[in-house]
Amino acid sequence: MTAASVGDGELSWGRRFLMCPPTHFGVLYEINSWMSAEVPVDVDRAQSQWDTLVATLRAAGAEVEVMDAVEGLPDLVFTANAGVVNGTQFVPARFRHPERQGETPHNVEWFSSNGFTVDELPLGVSHEGAGDALPFGSVLVSGYRMRSDAASHAYLSRLTGAAVRSVELVDERLYHLDITFCPLDERRAIVAPMGWDAYGRRVIESLVPELLVLDEEATLRFCANSVVVGRTIVMPGCTVEVGRQLEAWGFTVEVVDVSEFQKAGGACRCLTLALDVRLST
Amino acid sequence: MASEEIELHGHIIDSLILPKVMDVILSAGADYRMLQFDIGRTNADVSTARIEVTAESDDALAALLVELQVHGANPVHTVDAEVVRADRDGVFPAGFYSTTNLPTAVRIDGRWIDVAQPEMDCGVVVRDGTAATVPVHQVREGDAIVVGHEGVRVSPPARPRGSNPFEFMGSEVSSEKPKALLVAEVAERVRLARESGRKILAVCGPAVIHTGAAPPLARLVREGWIDVLFAGNGFATHDIESNVMGTSLGVSVREGAPTEGGHSNHLRVINEVRRYGSIAAAVDAGYIDAGVMYECVRRQVPFVLGGSLRDDGPLPDVYTNVVEAADAMRYLVPDVGVALMLASTLHAIATGNLLPADVETFCVDINQAVVTKLADRGSHQALGIVTDVGLFVHQLASELCGP
Repeated sequence: MTAASVGDGELSWGRRFLMCPPTHFGVLYEINSWMSAEVPVDVDRAQSQWDTLVATLRAAGAEVEVMDAVEGLPDLVFTANAGVVNGTQFVPARFRHPERQGETPHNVEWFSSNGFTVDELPLGVSHEGAGDALPFGSVLVSGYRMRSDAASHAYLSRLTGAAVRSVELVDERLYHLDITFCPLDERRAIVAPMGWDAYGRRVIESLVPELLVLDEEATLRFCANSVVVGRTIVMPGCTVEVGRQLEAWGFTVEVVDVSEFQKAGGACRCLTLALDVRLST
Repeated sequence: MASEEIELHGHIIDSLILPKVMDVILSAGADYRMLQFDIGRTNADVSTARIEVTAESDDALAALLVELQVHGANPVHTVDAEVVRADRDGVFPAGFYSTTNLPTAVRIDGRWIDVAQPEMDCGVVVRDGTAATVPVHQVREGDAIVVGHEGVRVSPPARPRGSNPFEFMGSEVSSEKPKALLVAEVAERVRLARESGRKILAVCGPAVIHTGAAPPLARLVREGWIDVLFAGNGFATHDIESNVMGTSLGVSVREGAPTEGGHSNHLRVINEVRRYGSIAAAVDAGYIDAGVMYECVRRQVPFVLGGSLRDDGPLPDVYTNVVEAADAMRYLVPDVGVALMLASTLHAIATGNLLPADVETFCVDINQAVVTKLADRGSHQALGIVTDVGLFVHQLASELCGP
């Protein structure tokens, strides 16, 4: 199936995604506050949730590319962290935790063999890909402190040509930007300001004209970790207030249970990497 | 105090990183100075800021730098200063760093350390995590001396807080400037220094006595406006002579006429003070009962009298070893905020060599060349006032002590 055309005011990206099946997924280590190696992952259930997510995205009009899972790399399933995509350029992540650093060579291999040019961040600078970098309009909003270094933002800007807005993440439960920020269209975004410091809140307030502000409950249900495909929002969970507002704005909400992945601190957005982002236009 | 230069790159304005970094610095009780700021021209261009961060202690600075690094502010890459042990007493290692009188810092083990008591034409000795200037004769074998220029940072003098009345004049020497206004402004700087707990230094030449400026100067000492006095054998001798014998170098300070046998008056005074053993002893015995030196003794204002080749006597208080004299002056220089160089050439230049550049220095002399000479020898902070020192001191005493 081919990608749907972009409607008026809709995001210019989010019609083509990279995903990785949960063949080797599990909580094998603890690198965020959601992870507990004592809580077992139901691998079959994870696979079925992932299949449903793929089907829902495709039904919404998106293309899904699938890369191979690798044994010993349980978090490879969270492709959002593979790197930053800009047209045919791929800037691979430099993971903060050694547990995830083994993912990068596999990601680089996939992108190299799929027509992307790979540009690397300098050594010693952490940045965890689209998990900490989401485009809004002409700028790239990027989180820092928990997993990505603030110093990486200038390098990212230099490599991609995009203006970067840095937002400090201050809640360890909300360790990636994509748990706190979800661009919806050219004017709107779902935001979880409890994850940001006061400066970050001001940066987003001055950048995004219309905000859907999540309360603590909706934030911790990972409402912001949603995937937007045109006018469809694929969410891991939704509260009544959030659903009403999204529908009032003309979006269709699709809730997909990804609870097995939330045991590892990731949801819908974390499981996908948009391949059609073009930062410098 | 400890300081470090940091650099910020990126969209630091729109991301509010720059104001955040400044706020982080200030809320840690530290201070910053923007050294350089290049703003990106287009939306996609990054901006760069170089900021000097100053904290109260090394530990406070280290903790602050860690926090600043979180926001992407990294210390500008610099190397440590090279340190070489002196291999004999009184000799610097070859290639030693020669100091200026400006605030200086050296980088040791990754940290910038302020060099205590800036003084020109010295070396820098590093000891137990501190650094200080050291004149060559004070170096001891085994002292760690900074060599080369790497890891040494010199800052231009900070502008004095509050308005500086002399800014509009620069430090040009001129005999055309309104003197009364200048004197009032010098008095104001003296008051400000006093309020901020800094000391006032007077460096006096013999002309202070010849021009009749001794009584108002003695009044300034008596009323607590002078904290340290540097002079030579001549000044102290003529001050005592004028009070004991009523002459200065044999000339009556009242009538201005030479007195009979007056040419030997100063020698007789020196001889008597030598009999007492010191100026203080002569004051205690009642031989000296007025004058600048008398007031210094009575108020326990420390003074250093530096000797020279042509001195008569000299007075028993005079340092006849110039290296010891300079060391004695050096000991009194810390915390001086204002230096008044009054009709003195040699002692003014010697003192200028010892003073850090942030000491407000006023050089009063009828001869423009003296003022120029002081500036030429590196004391660029000196403001010259070309006028009769007698008039100047009279007016200054009126300003500070009332008519």
